Amino acid sequence: MTRVQLRPSQIAALVGGVAFLGVLVWLNWAGNAVTRDGFLVATIAGLSVGSLYAISATGMVVVYTTTGTFNFAHGGIGVFSAFFYWELVENADGLELPNWIGLLVVVLLIAPLIGIVLDVVLMRSLRNAPMVVQLMVTVGLMVFLLTLTGQLWQGDRPRTIQPFWRGSGFDIGDFRVTWHRFMVIAVAALIAALLRVLLFRTRIGVAMRAVVDNRELTALNGARPGLLSSFAWALGASLAAIAGILIAPELNPLDPGNLNNLMLIAAITAAAIGQLKNLPMTVLGGLLIGLLSQHQARWLSFGSDWPFVRDAAAPVLLFIVVLALPQSRLAVGRVSSNLRPIERTTTWWEGAIGAVALILFGRWFARGSLNFGVWDPGEWDQIALNNGIAALVLAMIGLSLIPLTGWAGQINFAPLAFAGFGAFIFLKLAGESGNLLWLPVVGLLCAPLGALVALFAARLSGLYLALLSLAFALVMGKLVLPHPKIFPTIHRFEDPTLFGWAIDNRYDYFVTLLVFLGFGIFALVLLRRSRYGRRWIAMQDSEAAAATVGINTMLTKVVVYAFSATLAGMAGVFWALSKGSVDSGRDFEVLANFEIVLLMAAAGVALPSAALFLAFIPLTQALGGRLDDGGSVPWLVWLLDDFLAKFGPGLLAIGMVVNQRGAIFEMGRGFAPILPWRRDAREEMAQERAAKTTAEIGGLGLDLPFTNETVLTLDTELGIIDEVTPSGGYTHGVGTVPR
Amino acid sequence: MTAPLLELRGVRAGYGIIDVLHGVDLVLEPGQVVALLGPNGAGKSTTLGVASGQIQPSAGQLLIGGREVNGAKPDALARAGVCLVPEGRGIFPNLTVSENIRMMTFSGRSYIEVQDKAYALFPRLGERRRQLAGTLSGGEQQMLAMARAMSTDPALLMLDELSMGLAPIIVEELYGQVAELASGGLSILIVEQFAQTVLGVADTAAIMLHGRITRTGPPNEIAEELTAAYLGIDVGGHDK
Repeated sequence: MTRVQLRPSQIAALVGGVAFLGVLVWLNWAGNAVTRDGFLVATIAGLSVGSLYAISATGMVVVYTTTGTFNFAHGGIGVFSAFFYWELVENADGLELPNWIGLLVVVLLIAPLIGIVLDVVLMRSLRNAPMVVQLMVTVGLMVFLLTLTGQLWQGDRPRTIQPFWRGSGFDIGDFRVTWHRFMVIAVAALIAALLRVLLFRTRIGVAMRAVVDNRELTALNGARPGLLSSFAWALGASLAAIAGILIAPELNPLDPGNLNNLMLIAAITAAAIGQLKNLPMTVLGGLLIGLLSQHQARWLSFGSDWPFVRDAAAPVLLFIVVLALPQSRLAVGRVSSNLRPIERTTTWWEGAIGAVALILFGRWFARGSLNFGVWDPGEWDQIALNNGIAALVLAMIGLSLIPLTGWAGQINFAPLAFAGFGAFIFLKLAGESGNLLWLPVVGLLCAPLGALVALFAARLSGLYLALLSLAFALVMGKLVLPHPKIFPTIHRFEDPTLFGWAIDNRYDYFVTLLVFLGFGIFALVLLRRSRYGRRWIAMQDSEAAAATVGINTMLTKVVVYAFSATLAGMAGVFWALSKGSVDSGRDFEVLANFEIVLLMAAAGVALPSAALFLAFIPLTQALGGRLDDGGSVPWLVWLLDDFLAKFGPGLLAIGMVVNQRGAIFEMGRGFAPILPWRRDAREEMAQERAAKTTAEIGGLGLDLPFTNETVLTLDTELGIIDEVTPSGGYTHGVGTVPR
Repeated sequence: MTAPLLELRGVRAGYGIIDVLHGVDLVLEPGQVVALLGPNGAGKSTTLGVASGQIQPSAGQLLIGGREVNGAKPDALARAGVCLVPEGRGIFPNLTVSENIRMMTFSGRSYIEVQDKAYALFPRLGERRRQLAGTLSGGEQQMLAMARAMSTDPALLMLDELSMGLAPIIVEELYGQVAELASGGLSILIVEQFAQTVLGVADTAAIMLHGRITRTGPPNEIAEELTAAYLGIDVGGHDK
């Protein structure tokens, strides 16, 4: 055993933490009498819930250590499995299997199948992809699985999963403790022990860890890497299924989103406590979260000012754990693969043309002046305009991610936290009025929040940075923003005004937003060409190299976070004004953050125009609605409204498996050669085509058989067809090639 | 006469559309120790990649024991007794020494057997069996990589730049082990940049330049030519 040695700063942090906890307990003591029974019940419940978290978390850790992928879809797989179990066991119109059989079928058959399919279809292509892409694909998969579950088992009736033994148990004082809870504790302990043995004491377990370390060498040793990876994914999915099915009875009724939150957040926290690799620590972490939340619920009362505090134990702990983690090791001597497209930087006048085109196009479209010759969209009604406004606001929030994630490479899952903060400041400054002149002030005041996050984030990178921003999004969304001192539960705003001009109808507001968005895109195009843009990109390429050429990376990070917070905060003002009211309990859900980040990533987050991609969901809904009004083409309505709007973000993010650089990038690449001034794009295209031809010719006679057609192609390519080809074409070989 | 253990016939191979090997012919008879020498980028490692199944040849044949095995997976070849110790450190840095040794049992030998042999040959590994392999010194890491060759009794051994980045005394020690394996009748293909390192071990040497084997002969004769090749002097004029 190594002795734990604490530095003075760590001791100080520990003492401070305990003192803070003490004050928290003292201030919020609910005044319940502390009885032996009450303590026992809270402890048993805590251990049981904690065991559930531990099962879920060990699954994530096993997948991470055996596949190298941190699987955000772990909860999603658990949710799907739990609903599948419901279908087999609980559904009154279904098979009504005994619960043990249902459990075995799902855990040993369905879940491993899901795992293997995931490995073969998605994860294989992701093996050498950058961490960001892996992350986005698994987050996309999570969103997709939740949507799929929600669509397959729609909310037409409440569903519940009974605990094992139908809730029988024994009584402690006035409280009932179910056998199910005891079983869960035993199962968690068993799983942790078995996994430990599997990973460290068996050859297949050692080999699964070896695959992550060095895939080629694993094969050279004679093990089958493909099979090992599939097994690892199957195992991970099974663990997710066990966790999902056992956690499900805690929820009544069963809901995909809630079940996922229950499984995912606590599990990520527990996994972080185990530093993503240590199984015993992960289990302890899960138990700690369970005990904290149950005892807190029993003894403390935070009043109505902190409505979501019960769900906040895990996020707060996650925040602390990620910050306290030992410095992540720098990957020395390895060039980090990043996917920022090696693009030609957009010129200022291209940006200007684009912005003006966007504004004009948007106006005409909203007025119904553009009808594409397919159908007459007509002038937009209020609902369509609202959708359009929502689209533009999302795009503005998306702009904030472009310098931060796209250029500086800092993953951020919390754009809405910044936007919400901006809306809050606007509310304090402008009161009920919607005076847009406060906008620059709001932006300036949001910058310090961004700088603060940067100070926390500065020493983290990759996965840990993503987890920190997730914790930030959760803490802001669960604790800070829903507090009534910040947003009265549902707050209404007046119509916005600008220089005394009241923007009191939706069309004017739409056009105003369009102008702001166009200006924002143009400004980002200019910024990308400035020395700041270059610095941020240099930092993403290699922080060490950037530092050696004299860039102060710390300051650069602070600036980019502050700038991103400014953009998001100002977008937040428009967001609040466009909604007219803010529902602080729902509007900052972490899932909403995920959708924004996913769509930006799928579009290609380094390009300012990618923000327009965020208009995707509201616009598909708007178009679906318009078509529905017209009463025509029901399948198109279904495609737009039901399929694309709901599955879009998840599917697009999963699509990054194939198209890692983003959709906007590829579209721009295809489109550029048409533009008259883009000779460089045409030359590049010609070069690529030439390289392809050379490659084909290079294989001729070796693995490509010489046919008359290829000889003809070769001659044409070389320009010698007229001199050499006999009249009437070649006559040897099969058939004749006419001249 | 028995078939050669390893034979490459007119092998072309490369990465993507770029060919690195332009028709390599190479024969390794049973019990022979061949050194493949040449400068950076000549295609030596690619040749080993083809022979171990990691890189599929785009043309030509790969024969092992006289049978064509084009398209065989590297893990299948490994189980059949082809052992490649790759360039750099052929170890799993995040596994312990004993777990690294456990990985060697996929070749078909039992754990006890492999373990005993490896620790007997390299007692230092035995002392560090619970340590993460990534925390070993460079020489110890290479010993661990070599332990797979020494303890799993392969039919064909291929070593890729064993000496790279190691102190001369350790290189000498490692090649001493290789010589011992060779005297036991194992067929070995050694890739190195410099001839001196393998003079005492190899009985044949081949020079590889620009994706072709340009000359084969006894190592001490080849050494001179190799120097000429490195200095950019035309090798073709030196024909005998």
